[in-house]
Amino acid sequence: MVALVIALALFFDFTNGFHDTANAMATPIATGALRPRVAVGIAAVLNLVGAFISTTVANTISGGLINEGPGGVLITPTLIFAGLLGAVLWNLATWVLGLPSSSSHALFGGLIGAAIVGAGFDSLNLTVLLSKIVLPAVLAPIVAGLVSFLATRIAYATTKKRQRDGFRIGQIFTSSLVSLAHGTNDAQKTMGVITLTLIAGGFQAANSQPQFWVILVCALAIAMGTYTGGWRIIKTLGKGITDIEPAQGFAAEAATTATILASTHLGFALSTTQVASGSVIGTGIGRKGASVRWRTAGRIALGWVITIPAAALVGAGAALIAGIGWGGILIDTVAATLVFTGIFLLARRSKVTSHDLVPATPAQFVRPKPRGKAQRAAIADAARAKAALEKPSAAEL
Amino acid sequence: MIEWGSFLVVALGSLAGGCGVVLLFSLGLRFAGPDTDGKRRGLGVTLFVLCGLLVALGVCLIVPFLAPFFARL
Repeated sequence: MVALVIALALFFDFTNGFHDTANAMATPIATGALRPRVAVGIAAVLNLVGAFISTTVANTISGGLINEGPGGVLITPTLIFAGLLGAVLWNLATWVLGLPSSSSHALFGGLIGAAIVGAGFDSLNLTVLLSKIVLPAVLAPIVAGLVSFLATRIAYATTKKRQRDGFRIGQIFTSSLVSLAHGTNDAQKTMGVITLTLIAGGFQAANSQPQFWVILVCALAIAMGTYTGGWRIIKTLGKGITDIEPAQGFAAEAATTATILASTHLGFALSTTQVASGSVIGTGIGRKGASVRWRTAGRIALGWVITIPAAALVGAGAALIAGIGWGGILIDTVAATLVFTGIFLLARRSKVTSHDLVPATPAQFVRPKPRGKAQRAAIADAARAKAALEKPSAAEL
Repeated sequence: MIEWGSFLVVALGSLAGGCGVVLLFSLGLRFAGPDTDGKRRGLGVTLFVLCGLLVALGVCLIVPFLAPFFARL
């Protein structure tokens, strides 16, 4: 059972990586500051480094959301397994729809559902749910959006049009910092899940730090997921909400970076996904002449609202079935494998690759103006030759 | 318990950090970027350096073993 939970936790870590690549790299890709493959490569390396930088994992798996420990719910590997199933399924469903949603909220949702089935509604700490999940989910995009809006105004007010290409270089640094911060935060979650599973299974002493192999496999899983590139979500965040120019991309990334770093340092955890989405909306409002596609923004917000209930439903269902015993766990595993495979097959029908994200260059749309007489004559000759080729000959008729 | 104080600090810190980085970088481009005269190039480069320092401060915030160094500063 412990091995199964570890495998699923690593798969969750992988989905977390490719789901969240967009938070750091959607805007540099959209503005052409970085080529898609280079961007996800940088993000993967920095996520890997970030996972090793900080290994301070939480003592509780749910951050106090579920009343764990003495007098509360006993978090068993089976419960974690059910919770992880809900989280992974939600991550894959939102990925196929191209919706940026919080992986942490999906994990919490899955665990809540499993805990409710295991110990009833009393197991849920509603105050923590409100203060650590609901309120930050509302405030994070607002704060990031406001910072991004002001930063965009500053960027446009202080620079001349010809100078704004320079923001592309700045974007590389700010987006790299978001990737590093993501690695330090998100890899810890899976390390915590695996460590607490090992403790619950009696393979590790209580209150001990994660073992080196756990850190290594978690770092590799999130880095591999990041390198795989969640192109659908990158497309939504980079092109779906608003059309981004380099100055906007830099302002949005700076706002995301500042908000995440400030919240991480001060212990007021905010979702990277919600911060990044808020920043992109803020920069769309901030540039004169730009427009925000509120329909897409609304779909994303709706996704945030239903993340926890949807993951909780799956977690609860999985926990109910797993409660039967080994047969139930087997049914869960087979059903999950079939659903995951189905989602991947569905995704293949409308494939989004890195090639779909390369920004169009003006040369693709604008034919260069002929300069000299000779050049004009050559173009006219080529056009005549083309027309002659396209016109069917008398013999063909 | 909702930590409104912490939230306010996060909001103000984000505002100062995010707008500060963009302001310094933008002014750096203004004075040392293309389409500028050479006289203020030094000022532009200084602003880029300050922007880099602000970003380095951000790195110090998330790297635990750099935090004591940052605290000493």
